[in-house]
Amino acid sequence: MTLQREKRDYSWGMVVDVDKCTGCQACVLACQAENNVPLNLQDRFERARVMSWIRVERYWEGEFPDIKARFIPIMCQHCENAPCEPVCPVFATYHNNEGLNVQVYNRCVGTRYCANGCPYIVRFFNYWEPVWPEAFRNHLNPDVTVRSRGIMEKCSFCIQRIRRGVRNAERENRDVVDGEIQTACTQACPTDALVFGNFMDEDSKVSKMKKDDRHYTLLPHLETDPNVVYLAKIDTDKSAGESHG
Amino acid sequence: MLATLLEFLREKHRTTPMWMKVLIPVLGVGSLGVVAVMGAFLAFVVTAWLGQPIPVLGFDQSVEQPIAFPHTIHAGMGVYTDSTGDQVQGLGMDCTFCHRTVTSQANAGVPPVQFCAYCHQVIGGEESEPLTQVRTAAGIIGDSPHPIDWKRVHRMPDHVRFVHEPHIRYLTQHPDKVTNSTSGETMGAAGVCSTCHGDVASMEEVAQVEPLKMGQCVNCHRDNDAPTDCASCHH
Repeated sequence: MTLQREKRDYSWGMVVDVDKCTGCQACVLACQAENNVPLNLQDRFERARVMSWIRVERYWEGEFPDIKARFIPIMCQHCENAPCEPVCPVFATYHNNEGLNVQVYNRCVGTRYCANGCPYIVRFFNYWEPVWPEAFRNHLNPDVTVRSRGIMEKCSFCIQRIRRGVRNAERENRDVVDGEIQTACTQACPTDALVFGNFMDEDSKVSKMKKDDRHYTLLPHLETDPNVVYLAKIDTDKSAGESHG
Repeated sequence: MLATLLEFLREKHRTTPMWMKVLIPVLGVGSLGVVAVMGAFLAFVVTAWLGQPIPVLGFDQSVEQPIAFPHTIHAGMGVYTDSTGDQVQGLGMDCTFCHRTVTSQANAGVPPVQFCAYCHQVIGGEESEPLTQVRTAAGIIGDSPHPIDWKRVHRMPDHVRFVHEPHIRYLTQHPDKVTNSTSGETMGAAGVCSTCHGDVASMEEVAQVEPLKMGQCVNCHRDNDAPTDCASCHH
């Protein structure tokens, strides 16, 4: 089931062509740098408190030696029918009129209900005050809030870049051009496996890619209606339509 | 009646021990002092909550800058007294002459000290103390040029992403929305700054005049059909 989406100017979304993903992790690094995500040092892994707004999950398919590595980048799916939103007691996460699932850091009180509700496990809680090495002093992105201890954070679809793109278009008195606004991960992706754009624009690249036969969404039985659409892996060994990422 | 009262007081005066005679006025005055301090504290908290804190308890909004830069002489139109005591005519310079990025970027921008030096290697007497500091910082006097550590006056919390450019653009296009302007000039970037910053041109030492709290932002956004989506400013 897909909820009827109301007409609006923008409906930001992403299409991930899993077939093109090589698992290089460039998106992970770009996201970390763009969004002031704290460094995941060894102790974070040991305590299973890793924060990574986008992660590349790896699966093995088949038995050695006939084995294949499968990669799938997973970030906040910006669900239209998001399980994280209704559980927030302070409305710190809500859906805005651009199709974004927004996290308002200064409203968040850290109940962590949203992270428990998220089936994609893309919400991360700040268990500690973020600390960067002294060398990173001037490396933080000034357009992104540094989240302090005790609040939830997640992929924002690089909303600071969306704001800048829309602002530039407004200043020049024109519409936003498709491809003008890129998130950090889509910009970094060397194979263009990640594509960001406006689903409301019928001619945008994402709208066209979404119509591909290979499209699917993650955990569709939950009916979350994500704004991130995946295109399945093409496996030359198998007949078409059999494999799903 | 009065005689009885006086007699009673005299009796009291005789019988009351010395330490109590001292203690009673001390307690009275002391409790009044406590009430006064608490009242001042409450006034500070309540006004800071609602808007600008009133300058009791030594907190006020002005910031002492490393160099006594007079906005009056640079931006004002009147006759002002400069640092050497001379009367000088205000230049009436546009805000954007120095704050160059305000119409294009998030930050208004403070010019580098070399920018000051373009004019002040010639303009202004040698006996002026602030100008000597500027020339030293710019390397005109001596050979140790260094940036000036200007103090920020208007500070937004870290969770607010304020961008000057769209605000200047909107107010420039809608001069009727400009407030606080005392010169009556509401055109161009300099005319619109007063909406949030007050009449800086008349301030010897720039202070924050508007509370610049979220309520003020949201009210103005509502009045002007600007977005009130949380993620417009908080991200």
